[in-house]
Amino acid sequence: MEPEHGQRPHTPGPTLYPIGFAAGIACVLVGLIVSPTVIAPIGGAIAVVFAFLWARDATAEYRGVPEPVEPERREAPAAATAPAVPAREGETAVPEPAPGERFPRSKFLEGATLGLGGVIGGVVTVPVLGMALGPAFGKQDKRYHHVDLGPLDNFPEGEWRLATFFLDPNQGEVTRRTAYIRNNGALDGEPSLTIISNRCAHLGCPVQPNGPVFDASTKNVNTGGGEQIKLIKMLPAGGFGCPCHGGQYDPEGNRTAGPPVRSLDRYEYSIVNGHLILGKTYSVAHVDGTGKDAVIHKYRLAGPGQHIDGWEQIFYPLQPPH
Amino acid sequence: MSALDERRAQFQKYKHDVKERGKPFYPYAMFHDTVMSLVVVSVIVGLACVWYFTSGENPDTCGGKDSCLLGPRYSAPADPGTTNFVPRPDWYFYFLFYLLRIFKWPDSVILGTVGIPTVLLIIAFGLPFLDTRRERRLLRRPVAVVAAVLVVLSMGVLTYKGAVAKEALASEVKAAVPSWAKREGFANNREAVAGANAFAVSGCTACHTYLGTGGGNLGAPDLSAEGTKGKGVQGLQTYISDPSKFGNTVMPKFASLGQTTLHQIAVFLDASKGPK
Amino acid sequence: MAVAARPRKSARRQKLEAAIMYPLDWLEERSGLVGGIRYFLFRKVPGDTNWLHTLGSATLTAFLVQLVTGVILAMYYKPEPKTAYASIQHITNDVTLGWLVRGMHKWGASVFIILMFFHMARVFLFGAYKYPRELNWIVGVMLLAIGMLEGFTGYLLPWDQTSYWATVVGINLNGTAPILGPFLAQFLRGGAEIGPDTLARFYSMHMLLIPGAIIGLIGLHLYLVVRLGVSSPPWSREAAGSEWVEEQVTTNGRSGLTRPVARNSWRRNGGDTA
Repeated sequence: MEPEHGQRPHTPGPTLYPIGFAAGIACVLVGLIVSPTVIAPIGGAIAVVFAFLWARDATAEYRGVPEPVEPERREAPAAATAPAVPAREGETAVPEPAPGERFPRSKFLEGATLGLGGVIGGVVTVPVLGMALGPAFGKQDKRYHHVDLGPLDNFPEGEWRLATFFLDPNQGEVTRRTAYIRNNGALDGEPSLTIISNRCAHLGCPVQPNGPVFDASTKNVNTGGGEQIKLIKMLPAGGFGCPCHGGQYDPEGNRTAGPPVRSLDRYEYSIVNGHLILGKTYSVAHVDGTGKDAVIHKYRLAGPGQHIDGWEQIFYPLQPPH
Repeated sequence: MSALDERRAQFQKYKHDVKERGKPFYPYAMFHDTVMSLVVVSVIVGLACVWYFTSGENPDTCGGKDSCLLGPRYSAPADPGTTNFVPRPDWYFYFLFYLLRIFKWPDSVILGTVGIPTVLLIIAFGLPFLDTRRERRLLRRPVAVVAAVLVVLSMGVLTYKGAVAKEALASEVKAAVPSWAKREGFANNREAVAGANAFAVSGCTACHTYLGTGGGNLGAPDLSAEGTKGKGVQGLQTYISDPSKFGNTVMPKFASLGQTTLHQIAVFLDASKGPK
Repeated sequence: MAVAARPRKSARRQKLEAAIMYPLDWLEERSGLVGGIRYFLFRKVPGDTNWLHTLGSATLTAFLVQLVTGVILAMYYKPEPKTAYASIQHITNDVTLGWLVRGMHKWGASVFIILMFFHMARVFLFGAYKYPRELNWIVGVMLLAIGMLEGFTGYLLPWDQTSYWATVVGINLNGTAPILGPFLAQFLRGGAEIGPDTLARFYSMHMLLIPGAIIGLIGLHLYLVVRLGVSSPPWSREAAGSEWVEEQVTTNGRSGLTRPVARNSWRRNGGDTA
């Protein structure tokens, strides 16, 4: 159908050629930055192809090219040949698809909008959630599991030392921790040490020794890698006490009074080249016996206030990796 | 007319009345709001000024050069390895903090930490569905008024007790020793002073009280007048060394302090004849 | 309602008023905002609202103080464990009036929370959580909980001893919740130990997540107040919506306020249940 002059013709339906052209230009620009030899020419080719198609389409009416049939106009011939769709009471608002149309447009658009919206929402939210929640399931830094406390000679047998150290010297102050260490002597030829964490098992407050701390005997040990160990002689005769809510522990770390739900946590350790190396922290339900004869009921590390034995352990079946 | 219809009708009547007889928000109500806002801002600025001008750059000057009426500007930098600090939350959490001290038994910890606050929050959210009576006059809502009074009183008491809760921080107790020496009169007795210092750092005040310091716990008696109980220095020394020999299984054995230190503590306690 | 007769305006005054109204009309025609603000300002509230009703807007003022001072503080604060404490010292001791802004923020937090509790108590005692204001009460309780969370996250930021240890205990408290507790604690900490990630996380929550939620909820809260109206005090004799007023009423002619006829009829008719 030829458009008539003077009468405003039914303009050709929008095509996607301009978008293709823009994509080609964008490709060229990106290619210039990223890879001038490969991507830019590809972009150029795309741009040229779409420019040609666009120009051909835009000048169609001046060249006298017959107009393509509009999709909307298909309704008329289809209705003329096929029986009219009867209008019945209670019919759906969306009309039945005309013959030739398998899938009504509005339904498709609805579905596509919701679907695409869902995809976009997912693409934005999932990485963000992953980043936020990831640490809840992530592992503790491996660097934290290896602290060199210096030569074992600094820990005379039968004496307690208050040791302050960095879990990771590179991060500095924020990883400073304190442990109460007693050398119990030798057990089957191996040194036996009691290394107790100073974080209360109730809610994590710093626990004090119930006994003198001889600040004058402070010893600073440099074990390399930025690690500065401070060792102070102390004598927790009455065990340990927590100032927050009145928890009390005996010298083995067993709870004797107050709200703590289990014993104080302990550190694993190893002796390498005569140096005391701290390992992972673990939780302790209770300790039978004292010193090198102690039987430690060991569990994987749980947060303060979380029961690891007794009936209340069902509240804490899962622990994030530490 | 169902109850809901009645309420709807009454609400419509309310809106009608307000339209007919109400006053425009601006300037009537908004004037009151503005005055109150001015009061609020003035209070905030006033508090900030008092806080700043009664404190110094160094938090250690509090109590000495600066009165620090509203607290120091900041405390010492965070030290995750400290053994000498008593954590406290901000004051509006004191009621929750004190709940934790009430639930002292390990099995009940979870009640104080999450149990009770969660229950309270659920009640708070569900209030409009728990109380569906239309009555708003206070005299005809006895449950509501009593509940309100109870909640306010208990939160007030818990907050206050949380604020004054004292704990035996070794360094703080040690700082009190000179005043003890003065009040009990053993300042000239070097052994007693040494014993008092040992007493201060050995965690005794976690359970015992002495001249107002420390928290009474687990039935431990006040020791301010221990010297009048007739136990004698030797008796006190043996007791502290192993209380279980005297039937006390709650108190730890302090034998490992060494007999010298134990003797000093015994001298100190024997010299404690009560506050003068 | 009787309208007092106004004196005729002079031409100069009319021109002045027209000049002022012109930009407002321009804005109104293109956005409708001016009409909205006018509706908010000149809407009717019951005539017997008293000073207790100011607690809500007082809370809003305290929050706005926090917003403004918080934005200024964020220009100087450095959210990294190694530099946070020094930046706070810098703000308090060196920056011009930094002590005042920081002090206002610190004490504004306490005032905000106290006022929230007072406002909550006032609403409770007035029974203003009943139909149709239930949703508003729920939004209010959410604001209270989130407001206290805001205080908790802000408390860590100075990174001094009080901050650090209060946060240790607070996070461990959350950790004691059944089943999900350990994971919640880990999420708050940003790992197994409190570290730089914790501070950054708390800062993000304190600056962006929670204030965003508070602002949204306050918007909803205010919208509901405007839509549902302010309730009269329950002891009020002239309460809007109370049944007895409808039956026995005269106007006093001047202000248009209805006046109760007989006091004892108030009791007989059941008083106010609006």
